[in-house]
Amino acid sequence: MRYVSPYDPAARTPVAAAPRHGTLAGRTVALLDISKNRGAEFLDRVELRLRERGADVERYCKPLFSRPATGELVERIAARADLAVEGLAD
Amino acid sequence: MAPAFTLPSTTGGPVALADLLAAGPAVVMFVTDDCPTCELTLRRLAVAAAEVTVVCEAPPAAASRLAARTGFGGRMLSEPAPYETSRAFGLEAVPTTVAIAPGGDVAETVVGWDAAALSALLGIDLGAEPPARKPGCAAKSTYDAAQLAADAAVGDDDPEAMYELGWTDGLPTVAPTPERVAAMLAGRDPSASLGPVAPGMGEATLERVAACAVLAGCRPEHFAVVEAGVRAMLVPRFNLHGQAVTTQPAGQIAVVNGPVRAAAGLNAGMGVLGPGARANATIGRALRLVVALTGEGMPGRLDRSTLGQAGKVGTCIAEDEERSPWPPLHIERGLAPGTSAVTLLAGDAPLSISEHRSRTPEELAAALGWAAASLWSPNWWPIGAATLFVICPEHADTLAAGGWSKADVRRAIWDAVQRPAGELRRGEFTARVAEAADAELVPKWDAPDDILLIVAGGEAGRFSAVFGPCVGMDWSPVTLEVRCDT
Repeated sequence: MRYVSPYDPAARTPVAAAPRHGTLAGRTVALLDISKNRGAEFLDRVELRLRERGADVERYCKPLFSRPATGELVERIAARADLAVEGLAD
Repeated sequence: MAPAFTLPSTTGGPVALADLLAAGPAVVMFVTDDCPTCELTLRRLAVAAAEVTVVCEAPPAAASRLAARTGFGGRMLSEPAPYETSRAFGLEAVPTTVAIAPGGDVAETVVGWDAAALSALLGIDLGAEPPARKPGCAAKSTYDAAQLAADAAVGDDDPEAMYELGWTDGLPTVAPTPERVAAMLAGRDPSASLGPVAPGMGEATLERVAACAVLAGCRPEHFAVVEAGVRAMLVPRFNLHGQAVTTQPAGQIAVVNGPVRAAAGLNAGMGVLGPGARANATIGRALRLVVALTGEGMPGRLDRSTLGQAGKVGTCIAEDEERSPWPPLHIERGLAPGTSAVTLLAGDAPLSISEHRSRTPEELAAALGWAAASLWSPNWWPIGAATLFVICPEHADTLAAGGWSKADVRRAIWDAVQRPAGELRRGEFTARVAEAADAELVPKWDAPDDILLIVAGGEAGRFSAVFGPCVGMDWSPVTLEVRCDT
């Protein structure tokens, strides 16, 4: 039996994971503060740990945690960083 | 010669008889999904690990379920209505087991469960456990034309099929067959898009929205409200994304006004918050299924709600405009008299407010407001989000008796529910409370306009309700006209 699917296949296509680098040394890591309470505090500690491992760290911020990052911000991070970490806190 | 066939496998792509015969002689067993003898036979074959290709007169999902409940792990092919392969084989009953020689000739046929005959045909021992023989059921290919058409139209209507596909909120859903979806669309362009649905950004074509409406149990006369509700959810200022992924329990609440309430059969009276009325239950549910399925916001996956809440299955309320002493919500929000509208809000479960003693509007407004004072958190003032009160008719009478308008009620609630900042500085509190002097009064709501009022519910009883709002999501209510002429 054929059913009419409620899904959009385009939204269900798996996105391949970015290549793993094996080491943090010399890599640029983007830390994205989503503007949730105490998120920056959390990312401060993450930044310290990453720098201990030889990573370069760049900090980014989106204005409101409940709305997605703009395409422009995502593209900027993708263009400049090898890895990205989002900080979710409360 | 055995008739050629190519049928879908339950575990992969299509399988042709020629493929089977390329490897030597083949044994094909025809079964149906609702025949006790077929189940007995498959269980025995499973135990003996027999090399048999089973053709099940049922859609793939039903054939898969038959394999699962009998433990049959071999090749299972699906033959949905109108069962042309079974007819070509001249089937009368199931199970029917056919041994086919490599050249395609039928070597032997066994009808029904016959342990000795099947053991001989398969060259294995199917055991001596009784019964030794058992007749089966009529093959579906022998059904008359009317039954065949009904099978084809309904298809795999077992709710289990919907569970297997994941097209559910936990309750049984109605299979979105092409016929049902077409009836929902009533000639509308199925590919017309209402836009991408957060959080997964699946595109809400009218066809997908109609599929969700069918799944929810809607009737075609409900679809105009569902469509308007989806359009409202997708307005950017509603911020569906934040609501859909949050750890909060909030769902989407639809309030319906105007003539469409009667056309859709919506309940605005007794038991308005449910359960009981199909239109209310299914329209609200359809909106949630659009978020969970088309939008990929399925609880436990992109929806990260810590607890959820029962109203998140769907909440749709009609305002009892005829019983209300005040202008209805959609007119307050700028629509013209005579129009129909849906207003979407983000909110939590309703909190019932029992208040039988107030005799003046002032007393009652204060009681309603203070009941809502603990929403979100007892100390989170102001709450920073729109809050919906459902005022029951008896309470509405008391409030209106003093000549109060809705604006007067809003103002009275807002005025009443204020506390000194010093009392609020414990647990979780807002920046405004943190910055205020101890004695400074802080209101529960930022402004009276954050309090939304509708009248609904049974004639008897002094029970109103308030929906806990969705907080911190930068959303605002959206009211859109429901157009019944498109």
